[in-house]
Amino acid sequence: MPTSVKMPRLGESVAEGTVGAWLKNEGDLVERDEALAEVITDKINAELPSPVAGRLVKILVGTDETVAVGVDIALIEESADIAAAPFSAGEQPPVETDHILVMEPGRAVAQSLIIPDGRMRVAGSVTSAEEDGADVVSLAEEERQRISPLARRLAREHGIDLNDIMGTGTGGRVRKEDILASVEKRQTAQAIKSTPSNFQSAAKEVVSTPEATSPTTTSSADEELITPSRMRLAIAEHMVRSKHTSPHATTVVEVDMTNITKWLAQNKEDFKRSQGYGISYVPFVMKAVCEGIRKFPIINSTWTADNKIIIKKRINLGVAVATDDGLVVPTIYDTDQYTIAGLARQVNALAQRARMNKLTVQDMQNSTFVVNNPGVFGTIISMPIINQPHAGILSMDSVVKRPVVIEDDAIAVRSMMYLSLSFDHRILDGAGAGGFLQAVRTKLQSYGREINIY
Amino acid sequence: MSEKKITYLEAISQAIREEMLRDEAVFLLGEDVGLYGEAFKVSVLEEFGSERVIDTPMSEATIIGSAVGAALMGLRPIAEMRFIDFITCGFDQIINMASKMYWRVGMPVPIVVRGSSGRSEIEPFHASNRDAWSFQMPGIKVVVPSTVYDAKGMLKAAVRDNNPVLYLEHKLLYRMPELSEELPTEDYIVPLGKAITRREGEDMTILTYGVMVHQCLKVAQILEEDDNLEVEVLDLRSLSPLDREAIMESVKRTNKVLIVHEESLTRGIGAELSAIVSEELFEYLDGPITRVAAPNVPYPYAPPSETVYSPHAEKILSAARALAAY
Repeated sequence: MPTSVKMPRLGESVAEGTVGAWLKNEGDLVERDEALAEVITDKINAELPSPVAGRLVKILVGTDETVAVGVDIALIEESADIAAAPFSAGEQPPVETDHILVMEPGRAVAQSLIIPDGRMRVAGSVTSAEEDGADVVSLAEEERQRISPLARRLAREHGIDLNDIMGTGTGGRVRKEDILASVEKRQTAQAIKSTPSNFQSAAKEVVSTPEATSPTTTSSADEELITPSRMRLAIAEHMVRSKHTSPHATTVVEVDMTNITKWLAQNKEDFKRSQGYGISYVPFVMKAVCEGIRKFPIINSTWTADNKIIIKKRINLGVAVATDDGLVVPTIYDTDQYTIAGLARQVNALAQRARMNKLTVQDMQNSTFVVNNPGVFGTIISMPIINQPHAGILSMDSVVKRPVVIEDDAIAVRSMMYLSLSFDHRILDGAGAGGFLQAVRTKLQSYGREINIY
Repeated sequence: MSEKKITYLEAISQAIREEMLRDEAVFLLGEDVGLYGEAFKVSVLEEFGSERVIDTPMSEATIIGSAVGAALMGLRPIAEMRFIDFITCGFDQIINMASKMYWRVGMPVPIVVRGSSGRSEIEPFHASNRDAWSFQMPGIKVVVPSTVYDAKGMLKAAVRDNNPVLYLEHKLLYRMPELSEELPTEDYIVPLGKAITRREGEDMTILTYGVMVHQCLKVAQILEEDDNLEVEVLDLRSLSPLDREAIMESVKRTNKVLIVHEESLTRGIGAELSAIVSEELFEYLDGPITRVAAPNVPYPYAPPSETVYSPHAEKILSAARALAAY
């Protein structure tokens, strides 16, 4: 009995995944935990390790195909089963795994999905796969697509390319339901496209099937046509979905950051020298956000599909990190358990891993609220979009010196910062959002000249 | 109310009696149909006398041959086979005489040959079905009623039909209590050649007839409750002529076909149904035409083997599930 390899769940709200590339060909021998394929979901690329040692006998889901979590994507004949089978001439011993898997010291053994180092890795793997499989005829290409007579006729009548359809029948067979679902999807998309106000699904259509709509897009001499990266597409999809899902309301408070600014000015260099990593406003704000959530737990919640609200008891703050490809939001688990210095360390580590494309699946899931820092780009007020399925997102903008009216109507130069909270108006109202922001501000303004960050 | 409910066997008896009352040309002949009161007690001797209820020698060739002769002379005989297993002894009269007479000399042969078929829990000599052999013969109508209402209405229609009609009953239906129903008091017939939808559904069509209709309905119920599948059960009830329109209409809607019959699989009715569907409706099929029937071996002797041999709800259920998932 071959062992089936299933599409892994690469995040808690992720229902499907796309095979970015097969790193092994059918017929190849694989070691246990050796990378089989690159799997892509919303913002994350991961290598899929083989659950067993054996021979990859069948690839069920082709490159760029998207299937639901849990769907079989390949079959592996375990080593014992294939011991007697003659090896074909093209086979070589499995490639060294060290340069494929990016091992992370300190990670639990169970942590099996590792982020590859992006496109370079993929290119390299494909090359080795091609070498390995030079003499192995691709069964996937040889085998006819399974399709029922009715589905074939319906596809012809509706002008549907069968290659675009994922069958849901036994063994991935395309059947009536699949064609009808595809027709319906197309009709819905067309209906929505003709209604400009509903940009959500139209955008989704563009996002999910770029090849279906882009062939007609051409650029003239004074234009440049860009095919977005997968991450860009994933972000686009997520943003559109978020705006469609949550009625966003944004509210802003102004925080006096003078004491923190002064502390940073005095201690930043020393801190970096002694700890080996920098410290910024971010850990202070995160600490204050934890304080705010403790007072207003509703901020740390989710509106469910069946119209309930789940309040998350763990505070796992996502921290938005800009990378070359786009924005990623890795998670700091149990944020409230860290000191400010501890948070600085966590933020640093995550940012570094994000920029090196080494985030793990674990890093990318289970966040409950996001702190975003567009301030580093000099912005003064932002209106962030919620990272689904959260109840809100906080943007911290630039700390700038402003003349402000202080006690006794005196005017003073203070280091001020706007905090913008976008919240899901289904879950809470302005009062709750304002209360939370007040709590965050109170915490941030409570620091004196001396701050104990440990 | 419940006293007026009658069994399948009583419905046959009523049909014979009413037709004999209606038309003097109708008479009954066969082994022990008179004095003994017929093997399954469909007795009408006392009312009509031995002129119209004739005990014959134990020879099916004689019974059917006599019936053909009487029909040519203007009578409308109902020939009784007791167990349909033995109709083979009279096949020559059916194949070479009854079925061809009209086409040779233009004289209709309005005979009805009736008998009990199917699983008996007795032994192999009294458990056969002759559906496929009968079905294969041109020039003969073959009907297999599955309900009390149809048993009466189709027998009456058969008696009034100018073609030779094989009327195939099933032992298990004779006294099945849950089948009992109250019938209309007025005269009615069920036209031959019309299938009937016993249960509507959009996910799959089960083509079946006779005793298997009830197994299939049971399966359809389970599939609705456990699998959320809406299965259509089409009771063919007339094998010749076959209601092609009803089959086409249903399969075009459901796109999946499961064929169930009690008789053995190879060259059974299902083979022809399958051929029709694949020839006419290939591009409407969303899964392979699937058949559930008895294996291609003689009917077993031991009762436990009999249970395994005959298609039952479990076999039908697993075939239906595989087809639904296809």
